[in-house]
Amino acid sequence: MGIAIRACELTKYYGTLLAVDHISFEVMEGEFFGFLGPNGAGKTTTIRMLTGLTRPSEGEAYVFGYNILKETLQAQRLFGVVPEVSNVYTDLTVWDNLMFMGELYGVSKSERIERGERLLKLLGLLERRNDRAKGLSKGLKRRLVIAMALIHNPKLLFLDEPTSGLDVRSTRTIRNLIRKLNSEGVTVFLTTHNMEEANVLCDRVAIIYKGKIVTIDTPERLKQTIQSIQSVVVSFNNFSKTMREDLKKAPTVYEVRREGDKFRLYTPDPHTVIEWLCSYVKRKGLKIISLNTVGPSLEDVYLKLTGGWA
Amino acid sequence: MNVLGRIIYDLKSALVISKRYMRIYYTRPSTVMFGLMFPFFLFLSWAVGKNAPMNRLFPSLVAIIFLFSSSSVGPTILPLERRLKTLERLLVAPISYLSILLGIIICSIVYSVFISTVLVLFGIIFLGVWVLNPFHLLIGFLLSAFCFASMGMMYASYPTEYPGDIMIALNFTRLPLLFISGVFIPLENMISWQRFLAILSPLTYCNDLIKYAFTSTSYFTPLINILALTAYSIFFVIVGTKIHFKFYEKGISGKPRQR
Repeated sequence: MGIAIRACELTKYYGTLLAVDHISFEVMEGEFFGFLGPNGAGKTTTIRMLTGLTRPSEGEAYVFGYNILKETLQAQRLFGVVPEVSNVYTDLTVWDNLMFMGELYGVSKSERIERGERLLKLLGLLERRNDRAKGLSKGLKRRLVIAMALIHNPKLLFLDEPTSGLDVRSTRTIRNLIRKLNSEGVTVFLTTHNMEEANVLCDRVAIIYKGKIVTIDTPERLKQTIQSIQSVVVSFNNFSKTMREDLKKAPTVYEVRREGDKFRLYTPDPHTVIEWLCSYVKRKGLKIISLNTVGPSLEDVYLKLTGGWA
Repeated sequence: MNVLGRIIYDLKSALVISKRYMRIYYTRPSTVMFGLMFPFFLFLSWAVGKNAPMNRLFPSLVAIIFLFSSSSVGPTILPLERRLKTLERLLVAPISYLSILLGIIICSIVYSVFISTVLVLFGIIFLGVWVLNPFHLLIGFLLSAFCFASMGMMYASYPTEYPGDIMIALNFTRLPLLFISGVFIPLENMISWQRFLAILSPLTYCNDLIKYAFTSTSYFTPLINILALTAYSIFFVIVGTKIHFKFYEKGISGKPRQR
C-alpha cells in the first residue's frame, strides 16, 4: 500500500501568528484518516496547504508522490475537496454546477453526464437537478458540494467538517456515502469536531492543538491510553438542584457532569462509586432509573489532550 | 507537460471559466450599472444639446462604453468569487490562477465587444453613422477591450469581497481619463500640458483609433494607436498579474481564527 499524503515539517505563519507548527504525518492509500482539533488549532490551514490553496511557510507536502508546490496540477487532478463552506455557484442550477466542475477537471462530456446522474441519484438530488443552488437547503447544498468533489472520480477526498450543522438525514446520507467511497478504495482525509463521527469512521486520527500534532493513533488505542478516565452514568426518579453537589462527595469521583436527566460521574474506580450510589438512594429515598459504566471515549481523549478538562 | 502544452491547457481552462462566468456575471447589477448604464448616461449628459455631427460624437460614445464595460467585469467577478468562496473551489481544481485571470479577461472582452457591436449597429441603422475603415474598427475593438479588461483585472487584485470598493478606486482613474483623452475635448483643441497628459492615457489611443474607423481622420496614425494600446495591454497584464500574486493569500481569506 502506497502513501497518499505525506506532510513533512509543514508550517504556516500568518504574519507573526504561527498557525501550523512543523507538523509531519503520513496517510496511507485507502485509509480513513481523521484530523481533530479545537477551533483555530490549524486544521483548515493544514487542508489548505495540502490542497495547494495556501503556500506553506516551511516544509513540504506530497500527494500520491507529487509535490503539491511544484507539481500542483498533477496532484490536484487526484483529489476532491469538500471545504468548510458550501461554495457552490448559487445562480447556477445543481446540474450546471456539477457539469462546470467536470469540465474543469477535464472529464469528457459523456462521462460527466453519466457520473453526474449517478452522483445526484446517490445523494438524493436528482429531482432538484434543474433547481438553482440558491434555493437548496444547507444540507442539500452540502450534498451538492460533495457531488462536485466526486465528479472526476478522485483517489483522495479532503472533507472539512462535512456534516457540521446538518440534520440527521443529511448527516447519515453523507456518512454512508463517505464510508462507501472509502470501502471502494478512496482515501479520506476528514476534519471534524464530532468525536463520534471520527470514532465510527476513522481508521486513525490525529489530534492537532495550537498548530502542533499532539497524537496520531487508532481511536481504540487512543482510548486505551487514558483508561483511568472511566465514568458511571446514572439517572434517578427524582431530580433536585442539590443533587450534583451530593454526587461530587462520592468517593473517588473527581468530576460530575449533568447530561440531560442523567449525571456522569468520572472516576478511576466505578465499583466504589456504584456501592456509594446504592447507599445514597437508600438514604434519600430515591430510585435508580438507569445505571451504566462507560469506558473512556474519543471525546475524553480529545479533551484531555487539548486541555478541555480544566 | 511542455511549455506549449501548458499554454494550450491554460487557455482551454480559461475558456471553460469564461464561458461559465458569462452566464453568472453578465447580468449582475454592478456589471450592468458600471459597465453600461453609467457610461451611457455620462455620454448623454455631455452630448445632449451639443450641436455636433453624429459622426463626431459617436466614436466618443463607443470609446466611453469600451472603457467602462470592459473594465467593470473583472472588478465585479473577483470580489464576488472571493465572497462566495467559489474562487477557492476553482483554485483547488487543476487549473492555474493565471487561467482564472485570463478567463476574466476573455469574459470582459466578449462583454464589451458585444455591447459595442450592438451600439455600432444601432448607430448605423438609426443614427446614420457609417464605418469607413472596418478593419481599424475591428482592431480598435479587440485591442481596446483587451487593454481595459486588463486594467480592470489589475484593479480587481485589491483583496476585497465588495465590487463597490474596487469600482470607487477605478472611477478615480476612469473619470479623469475622460477629460484628458480627447473624448470630451478634442486633442487638437488641447493646450500643451493637456496634450502631454493625453499621451499618457490609454483611452486617447482607443478614442483616436475608433475615430479613424468612423471618420478616416485621427490625431495620431492608426499604427501609433495600435502600438500604444498593445503596450498598455502588456503593461496592465504584467503588472496586474504581479499584484494578483502578491495579494493572493489575502484574496483567498487565508487568515486563521485567533487562538
